[in-house]
Amino acid sequence: MNMNDHAAIQAVLAGDKEAYAALVVRHSAKLFRVAFRITGNEADAEDVVQDALLRGYRKLDSFAARSDFGTWIYRIAVRCALDKIGGSKGNESVPIAETTDQQQDGMQIADQAAGPERLLLSGEIGAMQEVAMHGLTPTERTAFVLRHLEDCTTEEVATAMGIPPNTAKQSVFRAVQKLRRRLATLKVKT
Amino acid sequence: MIHLSEEEMTAQVYGEGDEAAVKGHLDRCAECSRAYAALRSDLAEMKFIEPPERDAFYGEKVWASLSGSLPAYQARRGNWLRFGQWRGLSYAAACVLLGACTFIGGRIWERKQAQSTAAIKPEQKQQQGVQAPPHEHVVVVVLGDHLDRSERLLVELKHADAGSIEMVSPLSEEARSLLADNRICRLNARHEDDPALATALDHLDHLLQELADQPGGVNAATLARLQKEINADGLLFDVRVLRSRLPSQQAAASGQTKGGTI
Repeated sequence: MNMNDHAAIQAVLAGDKEAYAALVVRHSAKLFRVAFRITGNEADAEDVVQDALLRGYRKLDSFAARSDFGTWIYRIAVRCALDKIGGSKGNESVPIAETTDQQQDGMQIADQAAGPERLLLSGEIGAMQEVAMHGLTPTERTAFVLRHLEDCTTEEVATAMGIPPNTAKQSVFRAVQKLRRRLATLKVKT
Repeated sequence: MIHLSEEEMTAQVYGEGDEAAVKGHLDRCAECSRAYAALRSDLAEMKFIEPPERDAFYGEKVWASLSGSLPAYQARRGNWLRFGQWRGLSYAAACVLLGACTFIGGRIWERKQAQSTAAIKPEQKQQQGVQAPPHEHVVVVVLGDHLDRSERLLVELKHADAGSIEMVSPLSEEARSLLADNRICRLNARHEDDPALATALDHLDHLLQELADQPGGVNAATLARLQKEINADGLLFDVRVLRSRLPSQQAAASGQTKGGTI
């Protein structure tokens, strides 16, 4: 564990609130990066960072000193981001799908926001993959972001999301599968 | 040939699963090899929007917006207080436990000691000089008194007149009374290895026995025989000598009682 982090935590727990500033400054940027990748939204990512650091502060007395604070607060941020995009338990029971997925039960609803095609045509987003990401469930999206973009192992993904490793692996596979199909469709349309 | 599933290929891309087996199959199977190459290409082409860069003061800004809502960690101090209380209680509990163990241990030791003391055999007690239990009946016979009484009886018996035999009858009662004391004194004399006293008391015992064994009273013939024994044995003389010797012994024994116990 980083000794500076450890010293700061001890100071905070001893009543020195200002010592937490060092931890916030040191880890905020990394938390923002993962939060943005999961939420896809700058404002939401900012909220996630603050929420994660706030939760971390409140749970600091239960933090095991032998762990790494960076890893610990990173996991909290992932959970916060997952909550933010509606991936917490209960929100995934009926995933909202844009297309009919044979492998997953879902319901189709009218998308009030700008559709992928519209977004592509407007040229607002250069990368069509971002559009394809909208078709993923929160769990799939988070698992894919952590595995593909954050280079986490399956075990790390599972730990960060609080799910079994096999579920994490399946989520990554389904995300890849969906993205490829979606991208193939979008490529044809363009 | 069984082809690789998309899931197996995806796992292969991320370096998971049975990599050697999958690689071996890809080397042999052109169809799976093409599909795997397409998967790798698709994943490589996925370029997502990079998170916007945060400036160097981002952390400070986050802290500025966060610090107002963070309470100082008083709870931790409370925890330490609680920990201190628990520690105090633990010490108290340990002390109580130690006291209880000491008390119980003492009781057990006491019982064992009592059992081992009770286990000593009476013979061992005698060998070790252990005193008789207090409930044992003790009879102390003072030798001086016994010799005085015996001397008086012998004098009366020696000077008794055969013509007034009724005067002799109470001597049988006195003889029976002296007989028990005489036996105690005899045993004590033997125990203390005093042959002169023991011999005299043996003679006295014999005479007292004969005198006591006259249920119908002492007749003239018996009286004459007993008087003859007294004179022949010099029993009265012996008793007087022993009686005269006794005060000096008592003084030497510094008040020790001469006699015997039952």
